[in-house]
Amino acid sequence: MLAAALAGITGYGWHRYAPPAPWSPAERAQIRALGIASLPPLPTDPSNAVADDPKAVAFGNHLFFDTRLSANGLIACAHCHQPERHFTDGLPRAVALGVSDRNTPSIVGTAYSPWYYWDGRKDSQWAQALEPLEAPNEHGTTRERVVDLLRNDADYRHRYAGLFGALPESPADTDRVFANVGKVLAAYERRLMPGATRFDAYVAHLDRDGEPAAQTHLSSREIRGLRLFIGAAACTQCHNGPLFTNNEFHNTGLLSPPGLLPDRGRADGVRDVLADPFNCAGPFSSDPARNCPELEFARRGSELIGATRTPSLRNLGNTAPFQSRGQFATLAEVLDHYNTAPGAMIGHNEAKPLDLASWELDDLEAFLRTLAAPVDADPLLLGPPAAVQKLSRVRR
Amino acid sequence: MLHGLRQVCGGRTQAPAAPYHDVPWRNCAYNDVMKILKRRRRPGLPALLIASLPAVACAHGGVVAEDDLCVINIGYLQAHFKVYVPAASGHRDYCEDIPVRGETVFVMEYLHDGLSTAPIEFRIIRNTTGKGRFAQLADVEALPDLDALTVRYEAPAAAPDVFTLLHEFETDGDYIGIVTAGGAQPGRTHTAVFPFYVGARGFGVWPWILLALLLLQLNFGFWRRRFAKPAALLLVILLPFGTLDARAGELLAADTGRVSVEIVPSLDPLTINRLHFWDVTLRDRAGRPISAASLEIAGGMPAHDHGLATEPKAVELGDGRYRIDGLRFHMPGDWVLYLTIDDGTHRERVTIRFSL
Repeated sequence: MLAAALAGITGYGWHRYAPPAPWSPAERAQIRALGIASLPPLPTDPSNAVADDPKAVAFGNHLFFDTRLSANGLIACAHCHQPERHFTDGLPRAVALGVSDRNTPSIVGTAYSPWYYWDGRKDSQWAQALEPLEAPNEHGTTRERVVDLLRNDADYRHRYAGLFGALPESPADTDRVFANVGKVLAAYERRLMPGATRFDAYVAHLDRDGEPAAQTHLSSREIRGLRLFIGAAACTQCHNGPLFTNNEFHNTGLLSPPGLLPDRGRADGVRDVLADPFNCAGPFSSDPARNCPELEFARRGSELIGATRTPSLRNLGNTAPFQSRGQFATLAEVLDHYNTAPGAMIGHNEAKPLDLASWELDDLEAFLRTLAAPVDADPLLLGPPAAVQKLSRVRR
Repeated sequence: MLHGLRQVCGGRTQAPAAPYHDVPWRNCAYNDVMKILKRRRRPGLPALLIASLPAVACAHGGVVAEDDLCVINIGYLQAHFKVYVPAASGHRDYCEDIPVRGETVFVMEYLHDGLSTAPIEFRIIRNTTGKGRFAQLADVEALPDLDALTVRYEAPAAAPDVFTLLHEFETDGDYIGIVTAGGAQPGRTHTAVFPFYVGARGFGVWPWILLALLLLQLNFGFWRRRFAKPAALLLVILLPFGTLDARAGELLAADTGRVSVEIVPSLDPLTINRLHFWDVTLRDRAGRPISAASLEIAGGMPAHDHGLATEPKAVELGDGRYRIDGLRFHMPGDWVLYLTIDDGTHRERVTIRFSL
């Protein structure tokens, strides 16, 4: 009995405090690939002529926080995409004018994605920015009223003219002006990048100073979690690259929450994006060549039933609840789900059960929590400009 | 790291629409309109269940499949049929009777493409036929006022890919589901009728015996899984993470005897998550370039049961050279790409396996 207890304590102590085993060269390469230093420069968006224009960034900053872009004058983009919550809202499903079917995803670092929304029904940041404005349960406004706002606000009219030329008067140009509003919002959103985390510091030190020095940045438990993350837990199958996402669509067998049907996901999203007038190949793209390989080679078919976009894991400690419909309130629930990988309600669950022990799941969670850092952006972009603060009747 | 090339000559060029077609079905003799068939991984217990309970008396068939399967036949149109009560029983799916009452999700996953475009009408009525679970279409048609009995009606509408319906049952009892699918002309529609019971029901002593057996079986499964675990874990660690720097040069060639294929990817090394193209050179046995061939590209990750992330397309560059554009491999691991080459006289399928 005593011997068993002793063995148990020793075993636990060893597990808890033993120095982590050194990484193999292949593991190091995998870890390096996850570090923020591996993030390539922001890709250009030829479909958005003002994507990298500082004037558009400033204008977008105004629009992003402007509650006048809503039916009741109370809802701005920042209503759900709250800077202090890493541009999410802390709710299972978005609540604005009404309740949405899906969870508010973060905007940070999404300029790297070819697809937007959980089902990928938009193919650019600017096309995405348009839909919530007219969605009845979100901003609930109309493109005509958005154009009117630009016309009636002298500052906005001036800013618009500085980017796109004088605001056209004809109603025939409404769609084009509306699309430009999306492009201005996208120029702002592009500036919101993930900051370097403790994990990134570990990666940087790993290459420069070797493992023992790097270990000042992560605990042995977090390092064990990292080992699971790139190994037995198979997380990097989908959550790969420096943003921890492959930006693709996967069915992970989630249950539908009360009152909602199972999420049809990308099966519908791909149909929608191909039919979207604001897509890359449409008349409102700034790219005269209409070079749209993502749309051209977009995959369709029944395999996409119930598949939703892989979200980034950066800052996920700050973006609960989780999954496309906010099914899980805590990271532990998410990990339990992947550990059992139950069958999907529609389509099939691509994940296979991990059968990890509870302490392994704890290690994994500890690692995931190291991926937290403030948003890397000009601090001025993280709140409403003074002019907007004054104008908006009610702040969030 | 590439695992080398394996060639397949004259193989099947397209995966079947659904893997379930080859299975010999055994129909229920007493209900020729609606057939619900169920297959189980473990034969022992379900066989006993089937023998003992009328509730699933209809639910049997071959016992060779890899998955549980419940099929609804709407005329010749088949769909995988499942019912969930997510709030009460989570991921558990029911085939006919729903032992818990609550918000219920009906799912039909089409095994026949025709259902993706056919308008589907869905109706649930209280079962007053007096025939219980043996009610058939004729019994339903004989009912005087269908609308008065209807607890849920969904007008005909096409549901692409998969049909889902949410309904909250207010009372326990016998119900009948009536699914109609088909074209605009009345004569061309097909109907399936499935009686079912909502709510818990007593079965005397049998459930306890079955429960004991079930526990034994689960226990067995549990221990088996536990002992299997270290090996399984080891496999998971070893398999997916070879290396990310597969060399393009290693993908170089395949030869089916009739056709030789040379491949040069535009990415070197080949990496995940990047849209890129492969330049492919096709030569015949004498080394002459093959022109004007059509190339079909399919593939995916066998370990994850999924296909490619994109729909790549091939264009001819001339001189036996083709460009397969729009390839993106979105996960590390083992990939397989099937290249079907048709030069008008011959059709060849080349299988390319590689690991990212």
